[in-house]
Formats: sequence, C-alpha cells, structure tokens
Amino acid sequence: MMKQKKSSLFGGVTLAALVTIIVMPLLLPSATLATEILIFAMAALACNLLLGYTGLLSFGQGIFFGGGAYVASICMIHWQFGLLEALLIAMLTGALLAGLVGALSIRRKGIYFVMLTLSFSQMAYFIAYSLSDWTGGDNGLLDIPRPPLMLLGFEVSDLVSSEAFYAFVGVLFMLIFVFARRVIHSPFGTTLVAIRENENRASAVGFSTNHFKLLAFVISGGITGIAGALYAMLLNFAPLSNIELQMSESILIMTIIGGTGSLFGSILGAGSIVLLGDILSSVWPRWMILLGIALIGVVLFMPSGLWGGVGSVADRWREYRRRKASAAKSSEVN
Amino acid sequence: MSLYLFQILNGVGLGMIYFLISVGLTIIFGLLNFVNFAHGAFYLIGSYLCFTIVSLTGNFWLALAIAPLIVAALAFLTERTLIKRAYHLPHTYHILITLGIALIIQELTISIWGPIGKSVSVPDALQGVFQMGHFYYPKYRLFVIIFAAVIAFALWLLLERTRFGALVRAGSEDTETVSLLGTHIHKLFSITFALGVGLAGLAGVLAAPIRGVHPFVGVEVLGIAFVVVVIGGMGSFTGALVGGLIVGLVQSLMTTIWPQGSSLMIYGAMAFVILLRPYGLFGRG
Repeated sequence: MMKQKKSSLFGGVTLAALVTIIVMPLLLPSATLATEILIFAMAALACNLLLGYTGLLSFGQGIFFGGGAYVASICMIHWQFGLLEALLIAMLTGALLAGLVGALSIRRKGIYFVMLTLSFSQMAYFIAYSLSDWTGGDNGLLDIPRPPLMLLGFEVSDLVSSEAFYAFVGVLFMLIFVFARRVIHSPFGTTLVAIRENENRASAVGFSTNHFKLLAFVISGGITGIAGALYAMLLNFAPLSNIELQMSESILIMTIIGGTGSLFGSILGAGSIVLLGDILSSVWPRWMILLGIALIGVVLFMPSGLWGGVGSVADRWREYRRRKASAAKSSEVN
Repeated sequence: MSLYLFQILNGVGLGMIYFLISVGLTIIFGLLNFVNFAHGAFYLIGSYLCFTIVSLTGNFWLALAIAPLIVAALAFLTERTLIKRAYHLPHTYHILITLGIALIIQELTISIWGPIGKSVSVPDALQGVFQMGHFYYPKYRLFVIIFAAVIAFALWLLLERTRFGALVRAGSEDTETVSLLGTHIHKLFSITFALGVGLAGLAGVLAAPIRGVHPFVGVEVLGIAFVVVVIGGMGSFTGALVGGLIVGLVQSLMTTIWPQGSSLMIYGAMAFVILLRPYGLFGRG
C-alpha cells in the first residue's frame, strides 16, 4: 500500500514540474527570468542528487557550472559549435571535471570531503582567473552566441526570442527531470540512498561505495555543466562569478532551502531564490543577508526545506480534517 | 640569494598567519567536532576592526589588543545563540549554519565598511626595514613572525600545561566522559569556540597592514585554512603549524617563479598530499 502511494506521488511530482514549467512564464514578468529559474533549478537538481540522495555535501558545483559555461562558450566562439554540440561538450566537461574532483575528494569522508570540494572550487576559480586569454579573466567571456536549434539538418527554431529559448530550456529541463527520477528509482539510486543512510553497511553488503559515489558525481557534474552552458547562452556572457565559490554556495543554498531529497524541491528552491534576488537586488544590494538568515532558519526549524514544509502543512491539514471528522462522529454517537 | 631569503621569510610570516587561522579551526574541530565555515568571516571582522581602530585612534597596538577580544566575544555570543542549537544535528547542518553565519557577516561587513578594500598603515614603531649586512627586511613583517611564534608557544603551553588545555584535549578524545566527570561541557565548548575564532581574528589584525582589508577575503582565507588542515591533518597542533608553513612557503616562493599561479599552487600541493597521504601529513586516519 505504501509503495503504491509512493509511486503515484512521484508520478504527481513529474506532472507538477510540467505544470510549473507551463505556468511559470505566464505568471512572471519576463521569460528571461523564468529561464533563469529553470537553469538554476537544473543545477539545484544535480546538487540534490549528491546531497539529498547520496549524502554528499559538495561545494564544487560551481566548478562544473562554470566549466560547462566556459568550454561551451569557447567552442561556440572559436569553432562555431552548434547548439546541441555545445550542450553536449558542456555536459562532457561537467562530467569530466566532476570525475576528477570526485575521484580526489571521495578519498576522504565526511568533513574532509566537504573541505576538499571547497578547496577545489577555489582552485578552479584561480585557474579560470589565470587563463584570462581563454576565459576573459575578471571581465568574463563576452559575445557568446546563442546558436539556432537544428534537428536532422532542419532549423526548428532560431531561439532568438526569449520565449523560444524558454521553451527549449523547458523541454530540456523536463528531460533531465525525468532522467533524474529514473536514476533515483533505479537500483543504482536506491544504492545511493543506502550509502547516504549508512555507508559502512552499504560497503559491508558488498557495494563498492566509491564507484557509486563517483558515478553520482559524474551525473551531477554533467547536468550542472549543461545548466552552466545554458546560462551562458541566456546572458550571452560568461562572468568569472560563474565559477566562484559563491556560485557553489548559491546552488547549495537553493537545494537546501527547496528541500533535499525531493526533486521538486529544487524547483521551489531555485525559483524562490532567483525571484528574491531579482526583486531585491536592485533595491537592496545586501539582500544576501536574507539568504544567510533563511539558511539558518531552514536548518534549525525546517530541515526538509520548502517542499517538506508544504508536505507537513498538508499533513497537518489532513490530520485536522480527520480529527474534526472523528470528533463530529463521536459527538453524533453521544 | 637574498631574494630567496626574502621570499622565505615572507613565506614564514604568511605561514604563521595561516597557522593562527588554522589552529583555531583545528581546536574547534577537535573538541566540538564540527568545522566552522564562518572562520574566514571572523577573520574578516578582525581585520576590519583593526582598520577602524587604527583609523580612529591611530594606535595599532590598541587594535592588536582589543580586536581579537571583540571577535572572540562575538564568537561566544554566536555559539550561545545559534551554533549550540545544532550540536545534536548531523554535521552537514553545522556546516550550513556556519555557512549562513558567514554569509550574514560578509554582507554586514560590506554594508558597514563598503565593498571596496581599505589599507591599514604599518605602526610607526615598525616602519622601515631591518638591516643585517646586505640584507634588508621590513620590520613589521619580522614582528609578525616573532609575535605569531610567541602566540604559538603560549597556545602550546595553554593546551599542554594547563587544566583548561587538559580538558580541551580530553574532551577531544571523549566528550561524554569529560562531561560525566563533572566538567560543564557546554561552557568549555563556548570558551573553546571563542578561543579558536579569536585566533582567526588575531590573524586578521596581523595581516591587515600587510595585505589590506577586503570584504571577499574571508572566502579565500577559509579555502586556505582548509588546505592547511587537509595537508597537516585535522585536530593536530603540529599539523596546523607545519601545514601553515608549507602553504605559506609554497605561495611565497611561487610568486617569484609564476606570480599568477601562486594561489593555484597551494591547491595543487593539497591535491598532491591527498593522493600520497589521504589523511594528511600528521593525520590519525
């Protein structure tokens, strides 16, 4: 019975994601803002695969995001890569970087692992900074094209309008969302959860936990790389801040505030923070203080994040209805 | 030759500052079993307080005496009000809480002092250079090395030769037993946290006249402190000292060879140590 409930719930989550994607541009002032939300939701989703499902707190997500953005942009600028090739190379770059960072970092567990990912993130920043011939250094990489979408030699859309680009990102997001769900519900995904819950036990049962963690890293890095490339295409610009530690922190905070261990939470987290930033950053440049406060608040009072908060409110409502119903019944009996 | 001696001394000075930052991180980790991601942010407060005190009174020594104490007091309050609530949670949550604190501190720093860096002048008594034969070295930098060495020795005495130090070390081995033996463990936690963070504040003050103060340096400092403890091994006084000196020397010597890569190389050194000795040079596994 439990199982049935679970699977129908997850079916609902995919539907909810689809509805969100369709409704979002209608509610928001611009399609560009909606696209930005989807891109960060993608990055948060990838972070969630690591943090929520494997229990790996990675401060390295900005490496894959920025790496994907830079490599895709460089390929488009210097070698005229098309849209899908650029995204493919961004995915491979993200996956490769994640493989490298992951392979070194998972040599250590727990807190050391976290510190290593943070240090590698700093390292990537300095690499990007010193390769300024390629990355533009402090100025960022300018004039990044947004190539048209070609399928089988036909131009499907030129993606010039922000609505068309939103639609493209939306389709891509849904594909990744469904893929991530498949990963989570596969035996591979359940093993990841087993590692999160008790790594020693998972390893004692015979799973080679490091291989699983590394693969989770690679998948997460690939998705984050795509998100980074899309962000560069959205802005036509790849700033150095893409690969700063702050980017890793933002992605992490979106994931946590949205709710770890639920893919829809990543949409909520990315949505609320990108929106908050959009509304506040022009009025109050120091709005990030709120992020700090929100982060502490979520950790202390709402560890399952916004999505969990929605769930617990719904539970309470159900509980309230049930109690009321049973109270009514018992008063009838009396 | 004297160029290398110059860079080596620079590296030692830098390394001692890194040591002060990392040893605080390590002491806190040892006893409280969590990593303070706000460590760099408290360093930031230390250096900005130094800037403010020096520009108000013109007295660096006052800043050196007071700023670390203020930072320690702030840390004490933070521990009492926020961090204490997270001890029973898994360590992911400790990281996130201190990350939140770091974010708040950084943004507050920018609102108070502005986004542009400031410089702090070297105290009058330490202006100029120290001369030995044909070798010249800035007096202030020499002072930093000596002062930090004295602090390091005092800290070693505190940890190894006093009752407080014994409690901290015992608590690092087994918190529960120490608590059962009648020590007010939460008080010990607060004091240790304040001490560790105060050391980061002190490092911030010492570094201010050399490197200036800048609101985004907190992140950089945190990254470097992590490299030091990953190389030296977490929870080890010696590890923090040796790790700090290695990182300082690598960074300083690299500036003569490849200036842009000097920051990069310390992370390279870290990756190298991780490959050869995953638990660090002095780590206990």
